[in-house]
Amino acid sequence: MSGVNATSTSARTFRRARQVGPAIVFGVAFLALWEFAVRGFDLKPYFLAAPSKIGEQFIKSYSRIWEASMVSGGNALVGLVVGTFLGIAMSFILSRYRFLGELVTPLAIALNAIPIFVLVAILNNMYSITSEIPRRVMVTLVVYFIILVNVAKGLTQVRSTHVELMRSYAASEFAILRKVRVPNAVPYLFTALKVAAPASVITAFVSEYFGGLQNGLGSRITSNIANSKNAAAWAYVLGACLLGLAFYIVSIILEGIARKGEAK
Amino acid sequence: MSALEVVGTSKIFNQGSPKQVDALVDVNLTVNPGEFVSLIGPSGCGKSTLLRLIANLLEPTSGSVSVNKKTAAQARLDQDYGMAFQQAGLFDWRTVSKNIELPLELKGWDKAKREARAKEMLELVKLPEFADLYPWQLSGGMQQRIAIARALAAHPPLLLMDEPFGALDEMTREYMQGELLRICGETSTTVVFVTHSIPEAVYLSNRVVVMSPRPGRITSVIEVNLGSKRNEDTRAADGFFRSITAVREALRGTHADHAAANAVRGVEDR
Repeated sequence: MSGVNATSTSARTFRRARQVGPAIVFGVAFLALWEFAVRGFDLKPYFLAAPSKIGEQFIKSYSRIWEASMVSGGNALVGLVVGTFLGIAMSFILSRYRFLGELVTPLAIALNAIPIFVLVAILNNMYSITSEIPRRVMVTLVVYFIILVNVAKGLTQVRSTHVELMRSYAASEFAILRKVRVPNAVPYLFTALKVAAPASVITAFVSEYFGGLQNGLGSRITSNIANSKNAAAWAYVLGACLLGLAFYIVSIILEGIARKGEAK
Repeated sequence: MSALEVVGTSKIFNQGSPKQVDALVDVNLTVNPGEFVSLIGPSGCGKSTLLRLIANLLEPTSGSVSVNKKTAAQARLDQDYGMAFQQAGLFDWRTVSKNIELPLELKGWDKAKREARAKEMLELVKLPEFADLYPWQLSGGMQQRIAIARALAAHPPLLLMDEPFGALDEMTREYMQGELLRICGETSTTVVFVTHSIPEAVYLSNRVVVMSPRPGRITSVIEVNLGSKRNEDTRAADGFFRSITAVREALRGTHADHAAANAVRGVEDR
């Protein structure tokens, strides 16, 4: 019995390796090519920093990158959580009162069409320059729309057979909401979260380019570039990548927990 | 006492507008307890509409529908009927067992009682080992059997089916027909069954109700005398083919153009 298990485990490991293997090989090759190009063509550090230099900088200023990540990540997280809850709440209201949806949708599209930057500048003026609020509001807005659009779709686009079936059971609107609409919307919510999580990180540090506190990843990247510390700037970019990745992975893990056993 | 009574019932959509559709006009139908009645006819003849009037998913424009001597609305509130559709309509996020338990949940049954009934229903449709799987792990025929188990979970006296085997292949379909007769026999359920298939209607039914479109109405009712014990031999019996021919001729009569063509051919034959 254990022999069978061991075989299937090693088979699974092998399959896993075949899945991630090409990606790892490609990544390593890309970095090697980059390193080779910088050294071989003697590219100046202010033009392009070598991966080895970036790694060096990353290790050297690890604690400061970590601090800056906590600031940007914290803003992203606050905006993500608040935006998600607001988006879910609003989608429930919109799916219950369709006429509200018709009123709100054009406004939502119009708001979404405004470049983020304009809003951050305005929000910075509204709040004190030492406040994190403008960035968090910005992230909230971005996340809110992503969640709202998707969850509202999940709540309303249910199969007609399901609704007829529930009517045949004389189910109340609330029972239909609880047993059909909400479970139907769950996959839509996680699809939205997988988009919203990285978007929240991007929004958080793009928002930092427009003044305010100089404590996040975005502002550190700007100031290092301004001081021609190219490798250091890249080290912060690496931090930003890892932060976005972390948010994405967490959203996938949450999905896995919430939809355990269900169809993929 | 009749299981179901439809008296002088009409259903008109968009009444008074240029898009008015006379889906059903002056329909009368009585179904006795334990009887199996099929509704057959071309698209637009109102067979699905009639089924939905009985289910109280639609309100009649005029006339009355009573189920179990109650109004259709009251019968729906009391879950006096179960319903199955062409799509099995199982919920992907519920296990097979939890799908069957759904109507019982809505009736407010407690967990132990629901699980016991779901187990009993799975035995009935011969899928007891599938309780904890999800619907997507089952074949189309199995899904439809679960849908029938769900429709009968609350032991309703009446089962309403809207082309439940329409999406299945021919072999699975014939197997399902046999299973349906067995299940309804064991539970003495009355069935109203909508179908496009003449052999299916004849094999299953005590009576086949033939309907015609524009306006939707019942044109004839054909008794099928194949007895109560039907099996694969029934499909080869003379009576089976006689009934199929009778239904087919009744259906031809519902198309004015077909009727004219037949008349001409009839002259040539003689």
